[in-house]
Amino acid sequence: MKILELKNVNKIYNSTEVKVHAVNNVSLDFEEAEFAAIVGPSGSGKTTLLNLIGGLDMPTSGEIIIDGTNLAELKPSQLIDFRLNNIGFVFQSYNLVPVLTARENVEFIMTLQKWPKQKKDERTLELLTAVGLGDRINSRPAKLSGGQQQRVAVARALASRPKFVLADEPTANLDSRAATNLLEIMKKLNQEERITFIFSTHDPRVVKMAHRIITLEDGKVVSDDNRE
Amino acid sequence: MMIWSIAWKNLWRNRKRSLVVIVAVTIGIISGVLLVGIMEGWINQRLHDAIYNEVSHVQIHNKEYLKNEEIDLTIKNYDQLTNGIDSLKELAGRVNRTRIFAMANTPWANTGVIIYGVDPEKERQVTEIYKKIVPGGGRYPDKQSPADILISDKTAGLLKLKQYIITDGVIAKLKEERIRADILAKLEKHKDKRFRSPGDFREMLKQEFNKRELDKAGRLITEYALDYRLRNKIQVTFSDLRGTPVQGIFRVCGIYKTTNTGFDQTAVFVNAGELAKLYGGGEILNHEISILLKNIDDAGVVRDKLSRIADGNAVMTWKELAPDAALMHDFMIIYYFIFIGIIMLALAFGIINTMLMSILERTKELGMLMAIGMNRRRIFQMIMLETVFLTLVGAVAGMFSGWIITEILGKTGIHFSGWGEGFEAMGFAAKVYPVVSFGFFVFVTAMVVATAIISSLWPARKALRLNPLEALRTD
Ligand SMILES: Nc1ncnc2c1ncn2[C@@H]1O[C@H](COP(=O)(O)OP(=O)(O)OP(=O)(O)O)[C@@H](O)[C@H]1O
Ligand SMILES: [Mg+2]
Repeated sequence: MKILELKNVNKIYNSTEVKVHAVNNVSLDFEEAEFAAIVGPSGSGKTTLLNLIGGLDMPTSGEIIIDGTNLAELKPSQLIDFRLNNIGFVFQSYNLVPVLTARENVEFIMTLQKWPKQKKDERTLELLTAVGLGDRINSRPAKLSGGQQQRVAVARALASRPKFVLADEPTANLDSRAATNLLEIMKKLNQEERITFIFSTHDPRVVKMAHRIITLEDGKVVSDDNRE
Repeated sequence: MMIWSIAWKNLWRNRKRSLVVIVAVTIGIISGVLLVGIMEGWINQRLHDAIYNEVSHVQIHNKEYLKNEEIDLTIKNYDQLTNGIDSLKELAGRVNRTRIFAMANTPWANTGVIIYGVDPEKERQVTEIYKKIVPGGGRYPDKQSPADILISDKTAGLLKLKQYIITDGVIAKLKEERIRADILAKLEKHKDKRFRSPGDFREMLKQEFNKRELDKAGRLITEYALDYRLRNKIQVTFSDLRGTPVQGIFRVCGIYKTTNTGFDQTAVFVNAGELAKLYGGGEILNHEISILLKNIDDAGVVRDKLSRIADGNAVMTWKELAPDAALMHDFMIIYYFIFIGIIMLALAFGIINTMLMSILERTKELGMLMAIGMNRRRIFQMIMLETVFLTLVGAVAGMFSGWIITEILGKTGIHFSGWGEGFEAMGFAAKVYPVVSFGFFVFVTAMVVATAIISSLWPARKALRLNPLEALRTD
């Protein structure tokens, strides 16, 4: 089932003196339960593309359709709620609210979605256990390592059962062991929850673990390998 | 875990900064509560004194008397009117008075006075003058000694009936108060000498003692050495019913002092029957009926009722009779607004500044929250709640401490000794007992919440203008 479709998407930055064609005529389809890496040299447009898919930025032209909804048709206020209900995010840093515990950070999304308390508690515990933090649920982010924090972020991204999870260089601040560990957890959850992950990375070891590798160069898709 | 719980936790992210604001709000509210407490204490005192010493709740005079204040302008249809008054269910007490302008003389001085011819016993049901006899100031008039006249401390001064004398008794009392022996030794020199005015006595004190000693002991010495010339005769002169000047002699039985020097300066009290002997006609003249009600709020209703049967007489409430007290009473809410408004305005700047700083620090986090789906309304709510909590914590602490302090000061009173005389000239006691009403706390809470909400608008708006892309930027 097609959950995400990009049709001739372009993003041109005019703000600087030079015109930057950050995303150049990209067309891609994503199915349910994919585990896709976006790779490419620095400045190739990975972040820009993920921002467009996540509805954080608007394409200059082209269409992004998520589960039948064209993002361009949503008003800014609707877009936030759309993100809440359909997209999970894992950022490179500043993922968690520092005053909330791991459990509260995960619950937060579900609270915004007004889940009943019991279902919320169950799902939180299930996810935090899945990311290997069942014993740290009441820790604040400051008490967790970078890798543990990113795992909480993954748990939170999955909490609301989104259509897909976007992760822009989720391992950039982690050492290689923590990076591999995070990817393994993501992959496991990708299988269990059947939720698509789309992440960008520079790390060859992370790239190796992907099922699908999309390579960007100067904003263009130069290859799209499906290794299954 | 709701928005308000996150807001509460965010409040303590920067403990020191939040505490500074909270303490500022606390101090601001304490001063507001105290200021208003003092103000309200004064107004209540002035209101009480105006009613119980001076004008009661409702008074009736002949309309013409109000214009000309002449002796023959007595209340019309007195019997019919008093029957009407006595049948009022709101009534707590009533008295009638003769009220005559006169000149009072002693061999040493004279002053203009208003003589109230009263029934001293009946007066006790309506006024509290009988409670205002100063220490060492004799007694309230009674019918057994018909020539009694009760005058104020102020009038006593004007008629040079206030003297000072240092007796063995005075020195003994001062010794009990632990006044230093060298000061007492200097006083010994002036023993049994009569100082005929406060000025003379002060002169002597200034010559004998330096400023430090006077600050310490001056007040007590003056208080104990004060010797009213009780039983002294006062001659009063006024025009009788035919317009002929008549004279009468009264004996000072007592000295009173209210908080209003303006009232004290003129009001003297004698037995109505005794006064009647002077102006002739064989009957007591009634210029004034003073009515005390069970409830002050009924004054307007009672005035309206009595006005219907008043023909030729004017019925007035305390609000018209003591307009200064009424004005202050009615404007209490304005004082609330002014005091608390100024404090809140000052605090608003601190609150806005703190919240702006707090938002600036959290740019990335707020961007992240918007990115993952926290909508504008919720962000706005969160910032607003943070501001309200920040303010409310200080406000609650401030109101609580302010309340405790006013409760204590309400018992002990605050003495404004330096300005006492100025205040008393305006009818305010030099000692004030602060009070704050429950309504005031409701008002402060409302103002604090309003201030918090208004102060949160700018920071919250700033937060809303953040771009969620900020969270993803990896600089
Ligand atoms: N807000 C912006 N304004 C102008 N140009 C931008 C903006 N954001 C990105 N660009 C430009 O767009 C191009 C793509 O940038 P992008 O950040 O998407 O690359 P990237 O593949 O994520 O790089 P990296 O691997 O270093 O993170 C770059 O040339 C960048 O300078
Ligand atoms: Mg990037």
